Amino acid sequence: MKVLVPIKQVIDANVRPRVKADGTGVDLANVKLSINPFCEIAVEEAIRLKEKGKASEIVVVSIGPAKAQEIIRSAYALGADRGLFVETEERVEPLAVAKVLQAIIAAEQPGLVILGKQAIDDDSNQTGQMLAGLLGWPQATFASKLEVDGDRATVTREVDGGLETLALTLPAIVTTDLRLNNPRYPTLPNIMKAKKKAIDVKKPEDFGIDITPRLKVLKVSEPPARKPGIKVASAEELVKDLKAAGVL
Amino acid sequence: MTTLLLADHDNATLGSATARALSAARELGADVHVLIAGSNAKPAAEAAAKLEGVAKVLLADDPSLDHQRAEPAAALVVALAKDYDAIVAPATSSGKNILPRAAALLDVMQISDIIKVVAPNTFERPIYAGNAIETVESTDTKKVITVRGAAFPAAKEGTAAAPIETVAVTPAESGSAFVSESLSKSDRPELTAARIVVSGGRALGSSEKFNEVLLPLADKLHAAVGASRAAVDAGYAPNDFQVGQTGKIVAPELYIAIGLSGAIQHLAGMKDSKVIVAINKDEDAPIVQIADYSLIGDLFTIIPELDKALG
Amino acid sequence: MPDYHAPVDDMVYLLEEIFKADGVFAELPPYSEVNVDLARTVLEEAGRLCSNVLRPINLSGDIEGCRLENGVVTLPKGFKEAYKAFVEGGWPALSLEPEYGGQGLPRTIQILVDEMLSGSNLSFGLVAGLTRGAVETIEAHAPADIKSKYLPKMIEGTWSGAMALTEAQAGSDLGLLKTSAKPRGDGSYTISGSKIFISSGDQDLTENVIHLVLARLPDAPPGSRGISLFLSPKFLVNEDGTLGARNNVNVGSLEHKMGIHGHATCVMNYDDAQGWLIGEPNRGLNAMFTMMNAERLFVGVQGLGLGEASYQTASAYAKERKQGRVPGGKETCTIIEHPDVRKMLLTMLSFIEAARALTVFTALEMDKEKTHPDAEVRKTATGLIALLTPVIKAAFTDFGFETTVLGQQVLGGHGYIREWGQEQFVRDARIAMIYEGTNGIQAQDLVLRKLTLDAGAPVGTFFAFISETLAQAAGQPATAAIAQRLKTAFEQLQATTKKLQAGDFANATDQNGAANDYLRFFALVTFGWLWLRMALTTIAKGEAANSRDKRKLALAEFFTSRILPQTASLAEQIEAGSKPLMALESDAF
Repeated sequence: MKVLVPIKQVIDANVRPRVKADGTGVDLANVKLSINPFCEIAVEEAIRLKEKGKASEIVVVSIGPAKAQEIIRSAYALGADRGLFVETEERVEPLAVAKVLQAIIAAEQPGLVILGKQAIDDDSNQTGQMLAGLLGWPQATFASKLEVDGDRATVTREVDGGLETLALTLPAIVTTDLRLNNPRYPTLPNIMKAKKKAIDVKKPEDFGIDITPRLKVLKVSEPPARKPGIKVASAEELVKDLKAAGVL
Repeated sequence: MTTLLLADHDNATLGSATARALSAARELGADVHVLIAGSNAKPAAEAAAKLEGVAKVLLADDPSLDHQRAEPAAALVVALAKDYDAIVAPATSSGKNILPRAAALLDVMQISDIIKVVAPNTFERPIYAGNAIETVESTDTKKVITVRGAAFPAAKEGTAAAPIETVAVTPAESGSAFVSESLSKSDRPELTAARIVVSGGRALGSSEKFNEVLLPLADKLHAAVGASRAAVDAGYAPNDFQVGQTGKIVAPELYIAIGLSGAIQHLAGMKDSKVIVAINKDEDAPIVQIADYSLIGDLFTIIPELDKALG
Repeated sequence: MPDYHAPVDDMVYLLEEIFKADGVFAELPPYSEVNVDLARTVLEEAGRLCSNVLRPINLSGDIEGCRLENGVVTLPKGFKEAYKAFVEGGWPALSLEPEYGGQGLPRTIQILVDEMLSGSNLSFGLVAGLTRGAVETIEAHAPADIKSKYLPKMIEGTWSGAMALTEAQAGSDLGLLKTSAKPRGDGSYTISGSKIFISSGDQDLTENVIHLVLARLPDAPPGSRGISLFLSPKFLVNEDGTLGARNNVNVGSLEHKMGIHGHATCVMNYDDAQGWLIGEPNRGLNAMFTMMNAERLFVGVQGLGLGEASYQTASAYAKERKQGRVPGGKETCTIIEHPDVRKMLLTMLSFIEAARALTVFTALEMDKEKTHPDAEVRKTATGLIALLTPVIKAAFTDFGFETTVLGQQVLGGHGYIREWGQEQFVRDARIAMIYEGTNGIQAQDLVLRKLTLDAGAPVGTFFAFISETLAQAAGQPATAAIAQRLKTAFEQLQATTKKLQAGDFANATDQNGAANDYLRFFALVTFGWLWLRMALTTIAKGEAANSRDKRKLALAEFFTSRILPQTASLAEQIEAGSKPLMALESDAF
């Protein structure tokens, strides 16, 4: 079975994002970029499936600006077999990504697609679900456990208040939550090999897909600063204030 | 111009997230219909009908919708969508699971996790884990939106109940099946994942007092329990309770610091909490300086009062 | 404990913008496929391992320490697992020979990884560093059968290496050592003697420990010309490469020491242990010294790495800790607002970044020395390395230690308690000033040997680099003040150097007594030179200069105005000669 893993490059999880002064977005110049942590978990899960003999080939796909190709190499260094990169300097929304992936999947015919549940930049949490919808495939989001047996996958999902287990008929879409696994570190020999490995580069036009954004970003601003604290006189007043603030 | 609100419920009861999402949905300016997709979900529908500002409740009752799996639930939303200009759901695990699937089938780019309705087509939403706020305008004719509950007040119950209308469901092969669930309702949540953290310091005086005073309050709030290093070092609380530089780093919605001064290494572990409450007898304590709300006084008097005020 | 973030961006900046490493590697056939892009990826991944695996066991390892029970050494909790991750990642092999399974990457990348290892967990990093030193020595001097028997496992990290030099009566003066080696008649030797201070003499991370032992053959001449080098493994190795019987290489005890508690520093007993000769008889010190430059560069970088680690915590703390008010201010401010705290942080930073630049400069020379096709280039590189090695070893560890003390000071009382890890850096940094040739020995090496090496050719080459940079700065108003300060100090350094070269003092005692001050003087001017280079790079970018570039310019200004003037005082101290040092009779002490 072939496993397809779509991945995204984002600002590194350890870097504190800074909003640009002109309000057009977050400053990405001279900022460390990395593979989205949830996507890395997806790559790791695919590799584990391959190590267990459940997957035969791992194909990673990414869409983004030219420099985002680096994350295909990161995935190679972890153990992905083949990479496909769709290059565009445009902002690509989850819906457009899902459409491009749909086209790639039509050609690749994977038995399973594993994605991160969300990217830590736009925090949309949509692509996997959208892709499942477009393909008409079953989905299991926020996976904390994945078992594949023949043409069935059993997935434990993290839901509000606990866990839910679903059985899916393959092909299917699975999105990863944090506790699914701990991604391995790439080995030095694999890092060196990854540098030499080919990446198949395409453009969105090659798939005949219009990626024009549907959302206009009017402004990106700093979150409101912490307001100066207030002293409350009694426990009742505190409870009232906390309820008004929406945290109780 | 009508808005469809996909409710979050467990068939028997309606989640509070739905009442909050309803407030956001109403800000779009149109009538709101609440969709209850479930199995034997009449009680949830009746609860929804009581909420102020609900024009109508649609009850789609079918065994296939029992666990609100994404495939049938999204198909249902898509089938109903033609009559609506906006489709809204709370950004709960269920709403986040179902709505994007429906959005794609409607060829709409969803707006996730909104915290403010600026105009019926313009919204604010947090990005970069809340480190920035994005204002977006949707150019889709239909809007599909998920709502961050904490940003909106919960709609109250109204005086009259809205009518409940039954919607026909055509079950289809979905490729997914519910196997089991394990919900940990009563267990105290894990410290780093908890929405509320109640933390205690040395002022609690002993491990007995720590347990006696802090734990019931935490349980009442479904909160995780934390402790300062001083309290851990003094043996009042176990090691894995420690919040701070050397302990766990937490950023809950609500952090209640009780009888702890807020040494810099403690602050480093919790300063990103959304709302910080300090209960301390020293009004110059560092924790009071960074708290959003502080209540100055003896914790052994305040906590019982707080317990009472919480009802 | 605070996190460690590998300073990869700063490292890449040096490779890319200051030293144009792509151009250097392109000229070196074995590294023709290496470029800054690859270096960045390797450094990032190594940095991740250091941050996530090694740093979390640094403080706990310091507290727990190593144990010796029934002759078995156990390292602190988590070290075994971390070492496994390190070996599985292939990191021990980074710069070692591809012929025996190494990855064959340049030393320049290795030394930057070494900085991260030192900064995140020196106790751990030493294990890998010592193995590498042993591998390089075996590679250069051992016969082919020994190489193929030992190197693959050592390069892989399955076996480790240790260097057994010091004895109770033989420290800086190895000529005094007594350990003996007698031929067995089968080509091997019987080694008997005791060694002290043996870093990584044993541990529970690897299957075998390969000792390189200095010992005397029966007919050896006395002194340092009668010392030979032997390989003596903890477990004997069968012909097929599997482990055989236990050799009589035993840990007598663990040294109780000030720092690097997570590292097993052993008293080793070789009780008729079997060993094999490495290199020529009686040429053991020469064989060992082949690797000395690399080892000393590694030790210097330990000071740099610990300084960086201490700076990271200190700067983060200073930005959060609220104490006091700025003059005229009403609100309590963060301590970074206080000029004195800033001065400490800037002092730290201006050392760290200049030292890192000198590291990259020197490591690139080492890569050239090893692989450049042009013999002239190799020769120049050899001279520069010889000159700079004692400077790096001593100055980086002296300044590195001072840096960790400043980093401790910024935290006040929190720097003195364990929790923030600052006091550990101070203790760990202290050893680097002592081992691998004390800093006093380094200064003697610089003044008495290196200044006059090849009739002063290396120092001439090096000073020409400084003159060249000063020439580039001429007519550049934005860096005029920086260049002028450097020029003043440099002219003074040249004058003092000339005197020392000529022995233009009353006697050799003057050179000896001047050495330490001179080394510091030399290092400060060298740092000033590197700061001017970085400042000029910023200026050359004009409008395109980013915040990092501007930061470099500000640091160049700080260093040359607030630190570099110390050179005037050093020049004066040297000028005062040894008379005040020798005035008292020994009995008067």
